[in-house]
Amino acid sequence: MKIGVILGLCLGAVFAGFPVVWMLSTSLKPNGEVFQVPPRLITDNFSFDAYWKILTDPTQLRFFLNSYIVALWVTALTLLVGILAGYSFSRYEFRLKRFINVAIVSVQAVPPITLVIPYFGLVVALGLYNTYGGLIVTHMVFTLPYAIIMTTAYFNTLPRELDESVKVDGGSGWTALWRILVPISVPGLIAVGIYTFMISWNEYLFALTLTRTDDMRTVPIGIQLLMGQHSYEWNQMMAMSILGSIPVLILFLLFQRRFIGGLTSGAVKS
Amino acid sequence: MGPAHIDRTVLPEAAVLEEAPPSPARKRPFALRSLAPYGYISPTMLLIFVLLVIPIAMVVSYSFQDNVIVEKNPVFAGLANYTKVLTDPVFWTAIKNTFLFITLSTIAHLVLGLAFAMMLNTGLLGGLTKAIFRVVYILPWLFTIAVVAVIWRLMLDPFGVVNYILTTLGILGTEVNWLADPSTALWALTFINIWSGYPFFMISLLAGLQGISSDLYEAAAVDGANPIQQFFNITIPQLKPVLISMAVLDLIWTSQQFALIWLTTGGGPLNVTEMLSTYTYKQAFSSYEFATASASAVIVLLMTMILAFFYVRQLRER
Amino acid sequence: MTRGSTGGQSRLKRLLGVVTAAMLAVAAVGCGTGSGEGSAGSSEQGGPVTLEFAQWWAPELPDGAFQELMTQFESQNPNIKVKLLSGPYASTKQQLVSGAASKTLPDVVGLDGAWVNDFAKQGAITDLSALMAEAKYDESQLASQIKVDEKTYMIPVVNFVYPLFVNKDLSSKAGVKAVPTNRSEFLDAAKKISALGGNVKGWALPLDTAVPNGIQNDVMSWLWASGGSMLTPDGKPNLTSPPVKSTVEYVKSLNDADVIAPGSLTMKEQDKVEKFTAGQVGMMIDSLAHITLIKKNSPKLDFTVAPIPAEDSYTGKRGLPYASWGIGIADSSEHKAEAFKLVEFLMSQQANAQLSTLANGFPGNNTAEPDFSKSDPLFKTAFDIYKKGYPANEFVGLPKSEELMRTFDEQLQLALTGKQSVDDALNKTQQSWASVI
Repeated sequence: MKIGVILGLCLGAVFAGFPVVWMLSTSLKPNGEVFQVPPRLITDNFSFDAYWKILTDPTQLRFFLNSYIVALWVTALTLLVGILAGYSFSRYEFRLKRFINVAIVSVQAVPPITLVIPYFGLVVALGLYNTYGGLIVTHMVFTLPYAIIMTTAYFNTLPRELDESVKVDGGSGWTALWRILVPISVPGLIAVGIYTFMISWNEYLFALTLTRTDDMRTVPIGIQLLMGQHSYEWNQMMAMSILGSIPVLILFLLFQRRFIGGLTSGAVKS
Repeated sequence: MGPAHIDRTVLPEAAVLEEAPPSPARKRPFALRSLAPYGYISPTMLLIFVLLVIPIAMVVSYSFQDNVIVEKNPVFAGLANYTKVLTDPVFWTAIKNTFLFITLSTIAHLVLGLAFAMMLNTGLLGGLTKAIFRVVYILPWLFTIAVVAVIWRLMLDPFGVVNYILTTLGILGTEVNWLADPSTALWALTFINIWSGYPFFMISLLAGLQGISSDLYEAAAVDGANPIQQFFNITIPQLKPVLISMAVLDLIWTSQQFALIWLTTGGGPLNVTEMLSTYTYKQAFSSYEFATASASAVIVLLMTMILAFFYVRQLRER
Repeated sequence: MTRGSTGGQSRLKRLLGVVTAAMLAVAAVGCGTGSGEGSAGSSEQGGPVTLEFAQWWAPELPDGAFQELMTQFESQNPNIKVKLLSGPYASTKQQLVSGAASKTLPDVVGLDGAWVNDFAKQGAITDLSALMAEAKYDESQLASQIKVDEKTYMIPVVNFVYPLFVNKDLSSKAGVKAVPTNRSEFLDAAKKISALGGNVKGWALPLDTAVPNGIQNDVMSWLWASGGSMLTPDGKPNLTSPPVKSTVEYVKSLNDADVIAPGSLTMKEQDKVEKFTAGQVGMMIDSLAHITLIKKNSPKLDFTVAPIPAEDSYTGKRGLPYASWGIGIADSSEHKAEAFKLVEFLMSQQANAQLSTLANGFPGNNTAEPDFSKSDPLFKTAFDIYKKGYPANEFVGLPKSEELMRTFDEQLQLALTGKQSVDDALNKTQQSWASVI
């Protein structure tokens, strides 16, 4: 059985990792060798030029900074708003609940491409064009539905007795939420946070439409800027992708123990 | 006392908005009590109303007009755009392809996600091994979709590395034109989508698996159940709510997939990979028919609302 | 046992605290809005006017070269500043359409000829004829102007012609004695090169439907090289005419002879160039601008450029397809006069020659002579071909040209894969085009 599992894991790793290995390999090749036949993992003219070029270019570095700022803010605000909304759905019964429920799930279905133009006009009218704020609220709109669904679900698994215990001591619903419910749900909230960060980090269409100048643009735009009219800068594109994935990977590494490991240690039997 | 008795079966159970079991009578004044939930949900409502509902309303209004955006004086056109869309054979091809694409992708995402999650959850391996594999398995999720499209196009080139490996190993006789051959393009595209999307499910199911109490498995083992029976009688039922909600969400999200298709096949060859998203895009930015594109978007929205409605109703009855 | 040891809780709190602090610090560094407001350009009382210029050209030129040109302009016009905005080429059109709809277009925009008709109808770009008249501009120096309803909306700044590229190494290896000059010779050469085997083919035909430029560059070019036209004299589609039919049948014969590189139905222009550079394709019709690129990526590749082969019996002037970097002014711009000064500058003899040399294209000012002394001798060859023939691109100025190309592409694909006859393909496309043009 154990051998079977290890074999399965290794096959899965090849499936998951091979394209990434190829990305790495392409980032180390000069552009002329990318289409070489037969394809080779490491070619004769192997070099880290692409990485140097990106790390020493202030415009590209600014793209990374912008992506971080936007993604971190989106994550924090989405979690905040999502927690409040989740509390509302989990602990209260109110008239519009079912309607809002359906609405939240189904508005995700509108093709973003059709929303671009009306949305653009709205953002300009609100004065948020070419600002961090514009991108942040836009990304929040995409990530909130899922965040709310998840926070509601996590809160639902926590019995009302917990709220009661706070109220008996004279606290309010608000206190119950922040003192008890949230700390216990942290592992689940981290999962939602990571998901939100990823979505914001990788978003392209609205990031492009709602920004105008290089000092506001994000990494996905930076990558597409390397796809020129005449040819692609393959090695730089791949290098930028890999550099861009490292911080997310680190975030994941930092937090993964928490939300996977922490779950079982939280189980309590009376 | 205090919060000492928590049985944390943290499954995103009823992963849409079911209420927790009702509590004993409150002592709050009625008026305040009925306003509190609205207060908590107000930031959400504000954000979604201003930034989503208004644009959607504009899209709906576009769909009833003609010559929107491209001419300064749009004309009310009633249901003309809807008729145009619904009688367009390419629209129906797009629906068929989208249906195949999202169904296959979702099923594969769940199967792969569950398989990997179970393998990563097994007690047979050490923590470090599992951590390493976890990191490897999450890699596809880290990259922006343009890069995923571009690298897979490179690898699936007729003279690219995938064909090279397969022909060298003898699995293939001659190079296959994965993305340019009408008979393989849709499946190749689905494969790429499966690759780039499964980590999300793997993580959620992994979290879900962690929440299944091991007592259940122990009890079943004592009763003589083998691993397969345990899987079908414990694991699946416990995960059912997660599975269902992830499935619905994935169906919706995958139907939005645009960049992947556009950058690999553009909806071709011969329309075999034409999806609702590429169809809408072409209507909007090639034909400059924003009204038709809006009509197509509204049709998709309606279909999804029906799906969402039945899904929510099914949850309440559980 | 309570949930999580207190040690675990405080460690987590610290971690979250660090992340939050980092986030706020980072936000403090780059907080607030980006430079440049939503409105196009700005000026104070008597202060300098800032023009915003959106284009995809700067990344295609040597680093900093385009900015230098702008600095030259600024020194000649002390009251005007130019802010360059770049965007990913593939999203340019879509961004311009969206920008026009929200009235946030920059003052000056780089355009492709295929978009002009639609943008003019949308009211996105302004009538340049009026501006030229106001500024008393001498129009005779312009090699061409793109007009809709007799009014100019775009001026081509640099033209990139698409001659035939031939890989001399592969040709000589395949026994092809001379560069093909007519269709039969081309078919013959392609067959010989494909016979080399391995992954080598004679020709590449990019028929990607997402960006269907292949129809313009790689299919219609055969028609135009023989002096043919896809439109009637009064601009209506004429796709069922004998010249068009013979062109499509010729392309089909190339396909049937198996001389086209695999993957044609979803191949993009960039793929075609990559394959030629890698020595997998013997001949291709491609933009002159790629010469430098090919030399950079594959310095040892021996290749040349030639006119596109014409029909065997044809002896007249040969049309050469081209694409341009065009320029237009946004209708919503508040500084149209200053914007036109920038257009004038880019079209002036000296600046235009400089830009064309940098871009490896041909000048839009017909008195400007690009400086070929420092560039590849192939450019001189191409320039001679250009002078001997005439620039031909009937898609420029047509409404919804991308859609026209795409419809043709889809029908052509059906014909090439044997699912319908060439006649049916042409008839269906003709009907579709008739509803647009």
